[in-house]
Amino acid sequence: MKFWIDRRSLSVLAFSACMGFALPSFGSPSSAQEGEKKEEEKKKEEKKDEWFAVLNGDVYTGTGAVLRGATVLSKNGVIESIGHDVEVPTEAKTLDAAGLRVYPGLVAINSAGLFGNTGGDFADSVDPYNQRMTLALASGITTAGQSNVALKLKRREIKGVVLRERYLATLSFTNSNPQGKREMNERFERAARYLREYREWEEKKRDNKDLKEPAASGVDSTVRSILEGRVLARFNASNREDLLEIARLAQRFGFRPVIDGCIEGWTVADELGRAGAYAVITPRDRRDKEEQLVRDGGSSIENAAILHRSGVQVCVIPSTTGVDLGGIAGRDILHLPIEAGFAVRGGLTDQAALESITIVPARLLGVSHRVGSLEKGKDCDLIVLDGDVMHYQSLVQYTVVEGKLVYDKSQELFYAHIRPRPSTQLAPEERKDKGEAEEPKEGAEAKPEEAPKEGDETKPDDPPKDPPKDG
Amino acid sequence: MVSKLAIVALGLSLGACAAPRKQEAPRDAELGAIQPLAQGEQGFALLCGKVFTLNEADDVFAPGLVVVRGSKVDYAGPVVELPEGYELVEAPTLWATPGLIDLHSHIQTGGWGDINDMVLAMNPEYRTSPTIVPANPDIQRACSAGVTTLFGIPGSGTNNSGFGVLYKTRCSGSYEGCVLADPGGMKVAQAYNPERRGDLGATRTGMAWTIEDALQRAEAANAAGRDDKSLANLQKVVKGELPVLIHTAGSDAVHTTIEMWGERYPATKPVLSHGCFDGWKVAPYAARIGIPVNLGPRTFDWRQSEGEWVGTPERYAKAGANLITVNTDAPVMPQEELFLQSTMGARYGADSYLMLKACTVNPAKSFGIDALVGSLRPGRHADIVLWHGDPLDPRASVESVWIEGKLEYDRVRDRQRF
Amino acid sequence: MTILTTLLALAPVLTGPVDPSGGLVAIKVGRAETVSHGPIDHAVILVDNGKIVEIGADLPVARGIPVIERPEWVVMPGLVSCYTRLGVESRAGQEFNPEASPTPEIDPRHPDYKEALEAGVTTLGLYPPGTGVPGHAAALRPKGKAIGDMVVDEDAYLKVYFRANSASKKLVRDAWTKVDEYDDKVKKAKEKWEKDNKSKGSDKKEEEKKEGEAKAEEKKDDKKTFVPPEADPKVKPFVQVRDGELGMLVSITQAADWAHWLDAIGERKFDYALRVVMTREIDIYEVTEEIGKRGVRLVMEPQITLVPGTMRQRNLAMEFATAGAKIAFKPRNDTIQDHVAWRRHVGEIVGAGLARDAALRGLTLEPAAVLGLDKQLGSLEKGKTANLLFLSGDPLEPTTNVEAVMLDGEFVFGEVKE
Repeated sequence: MKFWIDRRSLSVLAFSACMGFALPSFGSPSSAQEGEKKEEEKKKEEKKDEWFAVLNGDVYTGTGAVLRGATVLSKNGVIESIGHDVEVPTEAKTLDAAGLRVYPGLVAINSAGLFGNTGGDFADSVDPYNQRMTLALASGITTAGQSNVALKLKRREIKGVVLRERYLATLSFTNSNPQGKREMNERFERAARYLREYREWEEKKRDNKDLKEPAASGVDSTVRSILEGRVLARFNASNREDLLEIARLAQRFGFRPVIDGCIEGWTVADELGRAGAYAVITPRDRRDKEEQLVRDGGSSIENAAILHRSGVQVCVIPSTTGVDLGGIAGRDILHLPIEAGFAVRGGLTDQAALESITIVPARLLGVSHRVGSLEKGKDCDLIVLDGDVMHYQSLVQYTVVEGKLVYDKSQELFYAHIRPRPSTQLAPEERKDKGEAEEPKEGAEAKPEEAPKEGDETKPDDPPKDPPKDG
Repeated sequence: MVSKLAIVALGLSLGACAAPRKQEAPRDAELGAIQPLAQGEQGFALLCGKVFTLNEADDVFAPGLVVVRGSKVDYAGPVVELPEGYELVEAPTLWATPGLIDLHSHIQTGGWGDINDMVLAMNPEYRTSPTIVPANPDIQRACSAGVTTLFGIPGSGTNNSGFGVLYKTRCSGSYEGCVLADPGGMKVAQAYNPERRGDLGATRTGMAWTIEDALQRAEAANAAGRDDKSLANLQKVVKGELPVLIHTAGSDAVHTTIEMWGERYPATKPVLSHGCFDGWKVAPYAARIGIPVNLGPRTFDWRQSEGEWVGTPERYAKAGANLITVNTDAPVMPQEELFLQSTMGARYGADSYLMLKACTVNPAKSFGIDALVGSLRPGRHADIVLWHGDPLDPRASVESVWIEGKLEYDRVRDRQRF
Repeated sequence: MTILTTLLALAPVLTGPVDPSGGLVAIKVGRAETVSHGPIDHAVILVDNGKIVEIGADLPVARGIPVIERPEWVVMPGLVSCYTRLGVESRAGQEFNPEASPTPEIDPRHPDYKEALEAGVTTLGLYPPGTGVPGHAAALRPKGKAIGDMVVDEDAYLKVYFRANSASKKLVRDAWTKVDEYDDKVKKAKEKWEKDNKSKGSDKKEEEKKEGEAKAEEKKDDKKTFVPPEADPKVKPFVQVRDGELGMLVSITQAADWAHWLDAIGERKFDYALRVVMTREIDIYEVTEEIGKRGVRLVMEPQITLVPGTMRQRNLAMEFATAGAKIAFKPRNDTIQDHVAWRRHVGEIVGAGLARDAALRGLTLEPAAVLGLDKQLGSLEKGKTANLLFLSGDPLEPTTNVEAVMLDGEFVFGEVKE
């Protein structure tokens, strides 16, 4: 296995780890606190560990590693181990994924309508029973961003839905607004100057304790957070000129910009790569080149591939971030891997394409320490498919969020009748709706048409001959 | 130069084929020996990892050979010895298919404009052909996604805004050079879109009458042996000399259309377009009457009664509809995503090979142009697409497209367009 | 034998024709649906002074007691519509008025009350309008010349309108925080009282020596019992709910509301019933088990609902009953027509699978419990209010008519002769 380490991403991660998350206190706790702690521990001990294991699947960890016929073991929703010699506790609930593929749950950087009619106050208004969330889980999405909040698709649960808030700060920096651009530049200058002075002051303070702390007044707090690495700066930009300006701004002040759209990014990929940019792109975005221009311009299906080759981390999102039930298939959030497939069409590697819908969006949402790949210590959010996640005939068979089975294709209305799997693959927790009519469902009696596929090959499946009853 | 291709070891790393038949000796009676090129004749051969002929026997050859002489296909079959004079293109990792065909497209003008004359409900005297902007960017992109033949038609703003044109997506060349048939057929809109209050009639009953009235006038003209200039093309339609593409929508409209065209005017050659929403519920009727269905751009129905995700092509296939095709209604869906319409049909339950037929040979058959396009058979137009794998897989890009033997798109030469 | 002697003893006093104003009367019917103790065939009910004095099968009735003999009739407890706005029309927005009462807006002459009574509805639970915490519901008898004649219980339950949003959750959390603050206040007052009392007590020991015992005794009496400080009127109802003195009805519309309700109340333990609005598409079945496990009482319409986004029907009343919840039905709407059709609608739910006894309870005893009146009415039991509904047959059959209605021992509908 080969590890690819990006220094910049490491430093950002380290920084966010310091700034964003609570660190254990190193001071000596008082005796009262100790007592409380002991009680808490006791409570924890009393609470039984919840084990869940996905067995015998081909595990695509998302980090580049593939473990064939391996086990993923979850303890209380967190991955305890992945491998071939994993000891599964007897009390563990298990899911047999033999002949199936296991991937990390997909991450959609933007989404709409998956959490119910919330007023943006997700913790207090999420609807964990709404159908669109279930459909998103059925298409493999386990984490999604909405209104600049990273959210977990926790079906039937309202606790722990909000993973992180406001990690992205949207800025405007465009040639179409020269005034605003100049002001933004000044804000960066002021904030950078302040931080420089602050560090100097910290240095000198050791010798001269009376030295006055530099005043933070007039310093834009958002820009300051960006420069301190506490949040990521996000720009909506697609024009070559705007992209160049953003790249220069980022390089000058030393931050990594996130660029939404980035349609002409392929024409300035080197500059964006040097700036350490992230690009959030829709590979099928289409823009005709301006005819009077000689140089490159407009959209290119190769955008993702070219950006990636230049070191830009690419995140893919479909053009429709909501769920489309109107009959147009292949363009909405439910077809996230299909959209990533178009990046592959333009030359992006399979691995980078998988990352573009898993770990990269997780980084952009500031939650890559928890989701986006299958690794020990991360949340056990995974999907089990009957083939390559980006193959058009692969459907999600099971979705697991934090070590709980939340979707089983054969047990839900939506896709059960499409290429049904043999009934021996039933999940451990078979969900039955008592209130539902017992009459057999159309399509339920259809026989399994084909065995799970391998890779991008397709198999013939004879079209069933019998006409539908209710025609 | 003779290439002993049969013994060329092909390092194929491709998976199993999507075809229902395994490789056998050629059974296509038309497939004879490859003739040497005559003096001054141009020709080339494609050696491919897989060749989908889309012939009557559904032959797929892996590896396979396609030989083009002039503007026509001369041979498509197993790898055999190649006579002298042919340029050989070796593409052992690529798959070859005929160019894709979309029977419901509006990109001839390069946008939405100029597709309906909104004054009268019926304009059977009109033609779309004058509005073609050859090689417009939409057409170029379509070509680079393997779409080679389009039925460019008026919109559904009125019941009928005239006759559409069948044309090729040539990236070079003139108006004359791209037209395959003009008129290629009629376009009728019979439900939903033309229903508007205030001008062209608000009800489906009104529309049915408007259309039938025109058909009856054409029939009367035929009976009287009259040559009415404004009805000339419509007269051909009622005699079955020109096909008609009918815009429908849900089950009600699908039913009306089958009843009117399939039963009351059996001489006509109707193709039922869209058939979306719950239209699949009438699929058994469509199958019984044998009317070709042209599905899309909606390829699934969120079936309310069951909460099921119903793949429209799958349901029509299940009901026994024998001639299923897909469309993009471009620019409703981008023209270059015609293949994706098939892809989604396959994703939601239909057979993947059937869905390949749905955008190649089936549309050709639906419009009676299968002797010209839609398959890789001797004598057919050399409209050939080379794919990096399964044409239905969005990840597989197009390497080259030939239209009538001319290389119209090459990924390296033209830079990847899609 | 005790019964018999009682009857004999009363016999001489009460003879003559049936006194419609509520004197002692025996009613013999074909069947009595007691609701609490199953059906009794050939039932005799003895009513006196507005109460059921005795009920049983074939009880002997002493001579002289007027007897109404209707072997073809079925009697059941009067229906209890515990959640209604019948006869009142005001509306309100989001409020926090837990102390408010809907009674001032009652118009005793409103014709709906008479009609409801004639349909067998003998108790109404009138709730205050508005969202948030709009106030108390009042239990009414639908007959009276003045508001005071109609009110049975001014404090039937506290109405809480809850939805999954931060405003609703805040309202609930704040209300309970206020209760905590009040408890603190009480605790402090008590501590102070105890302290005062103690110090006084120790002083007294010395005083006792100086002064007479009697006088000291008197002083002690003053401070003997601790009187907690009066709660704010907006806090008091929640204190009462916490102490089990007042019921609470929480209105929700979806599974998510329930999840957020649980989150909002946290670890607090108190009794509440749920009002689940049976909209056409409702996903509350997602939490049936949870609600059933807690044995919560649910107020719902007799309505078949659909799985959201589909046409799949569900009988939620049956599902909840099976899961262990208690079902109190309310008419589908607050119209008089729906009060009249109420029994029939519940019959439909029984037809769709709900157990018959749960349905009968759902019309009577369970809604009475929501109003906190299940000790007084809602079933045919000795000592309970004689609110009786006489029917021509099975209560849940659509063809069954109301023959007579008795309210507080008095026939208010139907021609009843000895």
